[in-house]
Amino acid sequence: MKTLSYPEILKLNNELGKSVKVKPYRISVISNITIHQIKEIIECSLRIENINAIVEIGDYDNIIQDSTKVADSNAVIIFWELCNIVEGLNYKIEQFEEDQINEIAEKICLEIGLTLKNLESSSLVIVNNFSSVIFPYLCKTQSNFDNLANILNKHLSNVAPKNVKLIDVNKVLCQIGIHKSIDLRYYFSSKALYTIDFFKEYSRFVKPLIMSANGKSKKAIIFDCDNTLWKGILGEDGFENIDMSAHSKSGIIFHEIQSLALALNKQGILLGLCSKNNLSDIEEVIRNHPDMLIREEYITIKKINWTDKATNIRQIAKELNIGLDSIVFVDDSPFEINLIKEQLPEVKVLQVPEKLYEYPQMLRSNLGLFYNLSLTKEDLVKSQIYKQQSKREELKSCFSNVEEYLSSLELKIHVFEDDSSLIPRLAQMTQKTNQFNLTTQRYTETDIEIFVNSDTSKVFAWSVSDKFGDNGITGLCIIKLNDKNAEIDTFLMSCRIIGRNIEFSVMDFLIDHLNKIDIDSITAKYLQTAKNAQVADFYKKCSFKILHENEKESKFSLELKNYKNKNINYIKLENGNKN
Amino acid sequence: METKIKNVMAAVFEMPVENINIDSSPDSIDNWDSLKHMNLIVALEEEFNIEFNDDEITEMMNFKLIVEIIKHKLQTDR
Repeated sequence: MKTLSYPEILKLNNELGKSVKVKPYRISVISNITIHQIKEIIECSLRIENINAIVEIGDYDNIIQDSTKVADSNAVIIFWELCNIVEGLNYKIEQFEEDQINEIAEKICLEIGLTLKNLESSSLVIVNNFSSVIFPYLCKTQSNFDNLANILNKHLSNVAPKNVKLIDVNKVLCQIGIHKSIDLRYYFSSKALYTIDFFKEYSRFVKPLIMSANGKSKKAIIFDCDNTLWKGILGEDGFENIDMSAHSKSGIIFHEIQSLALALNKQGILLGLCSKNNLSDIEEVIRNHPDMLIREEYITIKKINWTDKATNIRQIAKELNIGLDSIVFVDDSPFEINLIKEQLPEVKVLQVPEKLYEYPQMLRSNLGLFYNLSLTKEDLVKSQIYKQQSKREELKSCFSNVEEYLSSLELKIHVFEDDSSLIPRLAQMTQKTNQFNLTTQRYTETDIEIFVNSDTSKVFAWSVSDKFGDNGITGLCIIKLNDKNAEIDTFLMSCRIIGRNIEFSVMDFLIDHLNKIDIDSITAKYLQTAKNAQVADFYKKCSFKILHENEKESKFSLELKNYKNKNINYIKLENGNKN
Repeated sequence: METKIKNVMAAVFEMPVENINIDSSPDSIDNWDSLKHMNLIVALEEEFNIEFNDDEITEMMNFKLIVEIIKHKLQTDR
């Protein structure tokens, strides 16, 4: 997308503010300088993605006070500007003695601690590193100002709890250059330091964090093959002449692309191929080409055929059970890129640049699309799990009915209650699960931690295994307790385990469990989204009564004594907690 | 050019273009405070690819003056 000018951003942001109707996502920005112009720029960059961002700017130079007021925002951004932590510090500091500098450092370290403590229950706190490069002392490697920045940054990364994500402001400054980043005209009169260009670039750094917190990170990257993973056309140039060698001039670019793809795969991003070729030719390259890095074990899905790519990508989304908006597609052909843009606008497309040497940097600058706030054990083995999935699909076709098939799987569920070691995975599931998700509440690790430790809520997680392997932690239910009533806040399952009646076994277990702790009744909600229609009837199927119902949400309740157990005999359910 | 300026002002002050006239100033536009003025200045600078000096910034306090100053700037810069 082309970069918008500031007036265009203001206009578009106004319009989007009226048209984006989803639940507001509140971001508080607290700072010790004037940065009000960040508001519309961040709002606009997120509203484009259908996140209803509302940015609130704190008072001028009032970080600690403000931090007590904004803990319930969805995200907090702290803009702590080094040159203004003491009035005129950037020019005064070079005449200071060492103990004066240490005194300042101590004071600020204390304030950092205090601020982060005030925000410890916040979902997401984004903090900028301290930067000294705006006011350079060119001939000195370590000016007093540089030293202070180093001390504070070290402290910051030592004390930052899990809910804090640091932004390296120096990287932002490097991207556009210091001259374009600051405007001293307004610094002396209004303590406004940064330009619109800076805020635009800064919002590109913040966006992936917020996208991830809203469950909008990409999950799969699908590559075309010829001139996308290697130089040359396999069908014309032949096995011997395609090039992805680290030792040739154009091959090395594709070597780098394949390496980047493997690094993504390592973080749990699914790799796929979609190419118009003969399957056996491509398989020969994957297996036997000496320079090929993306071997069979890294590839989750392949569509190598002569069907149009829109159909293939639709099929990929279906087989992986992910949304089209979770897919990134890379191709060198403008024809294919435009086809996907037109037919599947939800898919993010990346075209191999004409100047080939720009290709790796182009891919690198888009890695934020895949950013994942909490990376977990499950991510690291994800491609294997998805492969088991396709084996199950194969087996399915041999059975005449689904029950018979499910009985053959030897399904086992392990349920974990309030298990704090699972917090990162549970937070991640709330951020990423869209389909089997009754309320689509997004939570961070800090939020989940509060539920786990609280007496008035219970967090149940479950893993599912069968004879093909273990799917890992793939289900979550958060229940709030209020005397004799329980309220289901969250009930979700990863798409990998849908369609096996796991949810009914778990509900049997939950009802039994709640009975034992003297709960009489349960209330629950279904909040409709674009993706969760398949669970609209879930509570009805579990013998809940409808309290009220409209297009957007339905409320249910159940007297426990009226619950009918499903007793699914082919699923074994065990307590997973160690004690 | 006047239409362009009006459009920028409408975007900055979040109001319909029709409501901006030759006398529009902080007195008639509630939203026009010192922070919004800063937004207006950088928005106009980006729109017309010019840079205002301190005096111009303090002077540009109604639509008429804004038009005059930009006109003058575009002529002398070329």
